[in-house]
Amino acid sequence: MEPLIHVRDLCKDYRLTDRREGVRGGLHDLISPRRRLLRAVDNVSFSIAPGEMVGYIGANGAGKSTTIKMLTGILTPSAGEVTVGGMVPWRQRQQYTRHIGVVFGQRTQLWWDLAVVESFRLLKKIYEVDDATYDRQMKLFDELLDTGKLLSQPVRKLSLGQRMRCDLAAALLHRPRVLFLDEPTIGLDVVGKGNIREFLRGIQEREGVTVILTTHDLGDIEQLCRRVIIIDQGRVHFDGELAELRRRVGQSVRLSVDLHEPTDSEALAAVTAGLPVVWDAQQGLRHVARFNRVEVRAADVIRLVVNDRPVQDLHLAEQPIEDVVREIYRQAAAGGDK
Amino acid sequence: MNAAGLDAAAGRLAPWRRTPTGSLGLYGHFVRLAFLKFLAYRLRYYTGVFSYTIFVAGHYYLYLALYAGRAADGLSATVGGLTVREMVTYVAISWIGRSLYFNNISRDLARMVTEGEIAMHLIKPFHLQSVMMFEAVGEAGFRLIMFTVPIMLVVVPLFGVGAPAGAAALAWTLVSFTLSLIIYSQLGFLVGCLAFAMKNIQGVLRAQMVGMDFLTGVIVPFTFFPGWFQTVVAWLPFQCISYVPVMIYLGKRTGPDLVSGLLLQSAWAVGLTVAARLVWRFAIRRVTVQGG
Repeated sequence: MEPLIHVRDLCKDYRLTDRREGVRGGLHDLISPRRRLLRAVDNVSFSIAPGEMVGYIGANGAGKSTTIKMLTGILTPSAGEVTVGGMVPWRQRQQYTRHIGVVFGQRTQLWWDLAVVESFRLLKKIYEVDDATYDRQMKLFDELLDTGKLLSQPVRKLSLGQRMRCDLAAALLHRPRVLFLDEPTIGLDVVGKGNIREFLRGIQEREGVTVILTTHDLGDIEQLCRRVIIIDQGRVHFDGELAELRRRVGQSVRLSVDLHEPTDSEALAAVTAGLPVVWDAQQGLRHVARFNRVEVRAADVIRLVVNDRPVQDLHLAEQPIEDVVREIYRQAAAGGDK
Repeated sequence: MNAAGLDAAAGRLAPWRRTPTGSLGLYGHFVRLAFLKFLAYRLRYYTGVFSYTIFVAGHYYLYLALYAGRAADGLSATVGGLTVREMVTYVAISWIGRSLYFNNISRDLARMVTEGEIAMHLIKPFHLQSVMMFEAVGEAGFRLIMFTVPIMLVVVPLFGVGAPAGAAALAWTLVSFTLSLIIYSQLGFLVGCLAFAMKNIQGVLRAQMVGMDFLTGVIVPFTFFPGWFQTVVAWLPFQCISYVPVMIYLGKRTGPDLVSGLLLQSAWAVGLTVAARLVWRFAIRRVTVQGG
């Protein structure tokens, strides 16, 4: 299929001013400021087919938000090209933004002082949504996101989770062809995240909308995206199937187990013998098991331990996205095991 | 189910243009929303009626003293071509006008830029300059009803403010102050755009607040100033914000002077709108969005 989004050799430079130290340095800065260019996005290329849902991930400052801002027409690139459905975002900004929906998890697009419903009425006019579509979409959002009872409340009184649900609805009211989600689950609890993910999956199947999603949460990616693009220091380090990423990095999880009585870590290793699980040396009553999610199910490890001896507490930690990125980066630096 | 807007076979987004009725509906909606928003915060404006009255009172007594010093019978003296009664009227109408056209576009736009909120406007298919202009119209509607009229009801009888120079003069004054609103708002938008280039714009905003009232003639009429200053001011847009409409009210601009005054105002309104559009276009190409 013909790609919908083309990104070719995209670059964005920011000009930074470094400050010198002390009074003399300050005066020196006045006369000749020390400037340097920071390349936030460095020759990024990819293309995305209609209906794809792609996870765009990287650590803080990796350049993912900058890329999204160029794709949404907010920033003008320093070099390279972007076309989405034949339009250049920053050149045909008004036409283009009619067809896209954007959610920035850190900000709201709802009018702060107004009741939620007023924002929707305004968006209806902004995007020239006809009455029938408007009614249908509002009904859909109420069913899937439970937004109906929030409509009369002012935005500033909403909780983070409620606000995010309304923001998602606001981004989708005009049935955009492309949806950009920048950290849509940031700060939400497990239930909130689950709701949002379920909604996104549903809407994507229903409308065939193309989605680009940036996130810090590997859970978002695992549950939503088949394809992942990893960016670090402005460059693409991985672009492929999630399964391929798993194969290359593994999915290391850490299970912390607090026992009631001091126990040797070897004793626990014996309990999980047969599974590829590594037990670290115990610290007091706490034991930590590490294993690969792909090979071992956490539930199996937990069951074995709990059945064997009394456990005070359990804690399961996902491998943070930074680790995945670092691992990919390390592999790339180690030199082409392609 | 395929939504409108995508020709699926070609993978292209459909061209789109807002219809004239759509534009009217949208920007009319912004006028209405701004009106409602300010109505919700109307309590803030009750104290404003008091402070405007104080401003006028301060000038009133200042000019009374000034004119009394000029002639034993202060009422007959003219300073800068105005009698004391005209002077009081000038001051009162200037402040009443200011209560109508004043807004905070520069500060609001600067805040959006420095806090990165501008991104949320750039992802919408509208022009922020138009949105802010129409919001200013809504705000002016609110100000007229809840602010300007109450100030007028207090100030006019209190200080013996003169009646307009006729029904036509009053009508043209209203037209003229409407043009003031456009000029003031577009200047504000231009100043706000400076935030794209400057790290800290607080100083500029403060200078604008003070400088505007001086250069528009709200604080002192231009006829008080030396000739060279009046020449400079004649080439600037500020006099079109307050000096021109107030002079129309006083009947000092009639016939060809009235026409040239209104034409000059219109020219500045159009010129500044175009200039602001160009500066905006240039600025957003270089925008660095803060945060995130």
